[in-house]
Amino acid sequence: MRKIKSQLIYNLKKDKGSYISFGIVVLITAIMLNLAFVLLFQVDKAYDDKFNRLNTASFNFTILKIQNDDTLKEDIRALDDVVDIECREAVFAEAVVKDFRDTDFSMNTLFYNKDEFRNMNKLDIKEEKAEMTDNSIYLPLYVSAFGEFGIDDEIVYEIGDTKHSFKVSGVAEEMQYGNYGKGLMGAYLPEKVYEKFAEEYKEQTVMEYSVITNGDINTLQNEISDLTEKKGITMLTSCDRVSTKDTRTMVCNLIILVLSAFAMIILLVSVFLCKFRISNSIEEDMVNMGVLKALGYTGNMIIAGVVLPYLMVTVFASLSGVVLSYSVLPVLAEILTLQAGFSFALSFDIKGLICVMIILAVIVSLFTYTSAKRIRKLQPINAIRGNGEGKSVKKNYFPLDETNGRTKFLLVMKQTFSNGKQNVLLFGVSFVLTILVAFAGTMFYNVIIEPDNFISTLSEEMPQIIISPDMEQEDFISDELKSNTEIKSVLKYAVGTVNTDDMPVTVFACEDFSRVSNDLCYLGENPDEKNEIALGSAFEGKYDIGDRIEMHNGDISHFYEVTGFVQSVNYQGNVCEFSLEGYEMLCSEKLVPALYVYLDNPADTEKIFKEIEETYSDKIISIMNYQKMTETTQEMYSGITSVIVVVIFILTILIVLFVLYIVIKTLLVKRKQELGIYKAIGYSNRQLMIQTIGSFLPSSVIAVLLSSALGMIYVPKINQFIFETIGAMKNNMEVSFVFLMIFAFVQITANLIISILLTKPIKKISAYALIKEG
Amino acid sequence: MKDVLISAKSLKKEFYTGETSQTIFENLTLDIYKGDFTIIMGASGAGKSTLMYSLSGMDRPTSGSIVFSDKEITEYNDDELAVFRRKNCGFVFQQIYLLEKMSLMDNVLTAGALCNDNKKDVIKRAKELFSLVNIPEITQKKFSTQVSGGEAQRAGIVRAVINKPSVVFADEPTGALNSNNSEAVLNVFTKLHREGQSIIMVTHDKKTALRGNRVLYIRDGQIFGDCDLGNYSETDNERERKLDRFLTEMGW
Ligand SMILES: Nc1ncnc2c1ncn2[C@@H]1O[C@H](COP(=O)(O)OP(=O)(O)O)[C@@H](O)[C@H]1O
Ligand SMILES: [Mg+2]
Repeated sequence: MRKIKSQLIYNLKKDKGSYISFGIVVLITAIMLNLAFVLLFQVDKAYDDKFNRLNTASFNFTILKIQNDDTLKEDIRALDDVVDIECREAVFAEAVVKDFRDTDFSMNTLFYNKDEFRNMNKLDIKEEKAEMTDNSIYLPLYVSAFGEFGIDDEIVYEIGDTKHSFKVSGVAEEMQYGNYGKGLMGAYLPEKVYEKFAEEYKEQTVMEYSVITNGDINTLQNEISDLTEKKGITMLTSCDRVSTKDTRTMVCNLIILVLSAFAMIILLVSVFLCKFRISNSIEEDMVNMGVLKALGYTGNMIIAGVVLPYLMVTVFASLSGVVLSYSVLPVLAEILTLQAGFSFALSFDIKGLICVMIILAVIVSLFTYTSAKRIRKLQPINAIRGNGEGKSVKKNYFPLDETNGRTKFLLVMKQTFSNGKQNVLLFGVSFVLTILVAFAGTMFYNVIIEPDNFISTLSEEMPQIIISPDMEQEDFISDELKSNTEIKSVLKYAVGTVNTDDMPVTVFACEDFSRVSNDLCYLGENPDEKNEIALGSAFEGKYDIGDRIEMHNGDISHFYEVTGFVQSVNYQGNVCEFSLEGYEMLCSEKLVPALYVYLDNPADTEKIFKEIEETYSDKIISIMNYQKMTETTQEMYSGITSVIVVVIFILTILIVLFVLYIVIKTLLVKRKQELGIYKAIGYSNRQLMIQTIGSFLPSSVIAVLLSSALGMIYVPKINQFIFETIGAMKNNMEVSFVFLMIFAFVQITANLIISILLTKPIKKISAYALIKEG
Repeated sequence: MKDVLISAKSLKKEFYTGETSQTIFENLTLDIYKGDFTIIMGASGAGKSTLMYSLSGMDRPTSGSIVFSDKEITEYNDDELAVFRRKNCGFVFQQIYLLEKMSLMDNVLTAGALCNDNKKDVIKRAKELFSLVNIPEITQKKFSTQVSGGEAQRAGIVRAVINKPSVVFADEPTGALNSNNSEAVLNVFTKLHREGQSIIMVTHDKKTALRGNRVLYIRDGQIFGDCDLGNYSETDNERERKLDRFLTEMGW
């Protein structure tokens, strides 16, 4: 072992810079991997723990109180696997929260009596005031944290034309609802306040049923909807354990996926880097190894000397990475809380540590070992003679006396080809490095530069302004707006709820889906005729394109033909699309769709919003600056994502620089003596710099350009994988060829600058010293 | 009267190793003449190589002046020195130092390309020189690791003279060769000298030294002795006795 030690120290010392750079790349991988693992292992568990602690129901649904039927509770209790059931009264309101992050946020809200005993769906009070006022309200953590409503603040719910002002007296965590992207929330009023409020909204008083099951959630839903259907009862709202969890942990899952994908690509980079470094250090140290062999060192001892430094660096760097990642985790947890709506603390995770260590150590040692294996076959005499593996017959590429062309150019070609293996590895490193850049760059592009791409993937139709006109004025306003030069288009669009198998399904109905700004359809086509329907991804598998499906609304029902499938991350795919006429068939009254207004320049929204508001104040029921609301939702989704993306992007640049540093340095160290000889013959520094850079730049430039161009193919694949996992079958992430090419050129320029910086010291060393050192 | 080719005045060379410095020579003055086959001898570590590389512009003296073909080369910067070397200096090393990744011929052409853009000319001259040093065409296409030390060194000499340098500098060119190979290499040098080539060669081998017409002896950082041997001839035994006496005097 002592014998190996001296070798090992020699190797470590000889190449400090490269090991440090390699270490940093591994460190970054370890940070990313550990973040991903800790989130993976702990957020889910923290969620379930809190979910169970608050005894949250597996399935909640509301029905109008007047439809309530005492037998329903007993019938549900009698169902298989049902463990417990609880009923409670609440007021359902299609409300708009004023001043939610500086905008009006429409949010269907269930107002509860906070003081009523809860066995299920308990509240975890985070903060509260000792004294109640006659307009006190307890807000869910979600609304409080993201909407920026603190204790003692005023919050205004606009219901119909009435504004209700409440004073925030407490904040509670609950695990019942999804996020506000889903548009359904709770609010909790002290008994006295509730009673007054419920009096005012008697006809909107609902019964909420909360059910806990041991069995499958879908089966339960189906059984319950069979029951309600039989009794002629309509569900107003529903939310289940699974889809709630999906929405609340979506950003977290997205981050885990992005981090893992990123870590995997860096890992690939480091693996190539190892291979590159090792095959080069074998060539550099061939004579040394030959001498050691001649002295009686065994192949394995020498291999250990080469592999162990990498393993040591890996172990050390990944440990440091894991430790470092814990300084980022609390921040990450806090931002995630905004989106997940419950607070959690991330603690040290031994499982994460072990996974990171095992993954990194195993992969690095595997690759270093296989690259170093050929040392064993090295014959001492060939090694000493510098003959390499002996077997490889050298070829004199481009013999100068027989090839046409300028000698100086041919010399570059000779270099390139006689270092063929090196250039192949360099090509590989540059290629995977570019995958990293393309991936991180595309994320950056879609989240930071063109955030609509990212947001529209996670949301539905996003006009700038939504107008609910008076019924008779609809066409008039529509026509007038269309003639406004600043308005790009106006679409009639309706959102509602219908039922199928008595489960509520959110409806998107549009006069012309070919004109929407966010086409949700990922399979087949959008509905066009009135008897057509496109179903959400939740229905894929149950129905095929061409099938017929029966949809209900109250007493009316119709059959529709399935034309395609649409996605909706917010509603977990529990949506459908109709043509306006198609939706109208299900409506008991005349349908008055909203007017979706699209502007040429979305930056003008505020101005035009005001104009429309003034001009048509007497002809419209309501008008909403949807752009602003979108921005607010956007903040929820992209806030943390953009932090992560920016960090990833910066790390990518660092990695690119470090890797290029190692690679180019390696190439130069190897050529040092050769350069000395050239210098002695009389080649100038400039000639040598051009020649050296010229011999390895082309392979990396080609790799970068090729990989960037292929990025058009592989980056969408990576994105597809990531987004499909969180339920977005079709993502609007754009891979910008121009952007990729810009990055390619940045990378190439970095390549060039680093090469020049690293080749510069050659100047300082006299030819004599170079020769002597070699 | 011979023309002075290199004139060194008050040369000083110091090496710094960490804290300590080591003076190799100081206040050394020396003229090298055109057409001479100058031999530099001295004990190991005396500073022979250091002196030779200073004279050739491969290394820089700490202070002093070197006038080479009427030019003050100590004032040149790195690249000017490189350009100067390619025209004026040819180098032959003990370790030969051929470029590994190319054939002997390509090694020679790599150097040749520096001074002459007419590739045909260069190839023609390379072929002539190869036949002068007895390296057949088949060997010219081999790599340095595939030929004997003697062949490699003769190719090294061809590379050194391809650009018709004013001086060929040779640092113990036969130091790593067996006696047959040494003989062949030395014959090439004699041939070149007879054609008028100026040569400066470092050696610590008496037989090698006999090839020169002037022998310098370095000791205590000075040119300790300077011996005019006259031109080499295979049959003249007087020269050998003269060199013996000189070396004994020098304390060899
Ligand atoms: N780059 C260097 N740094 C420090 N000392 C050196 C260096 N090059 C040579 N020396 C020292 O200078 C002295 C002369 O070296 P050299 O000229 O190579 O001797 P030789 O006469 O054997 O050719 C030696 O003592 C050697 O150790
Ligand atoms: Mg020497």
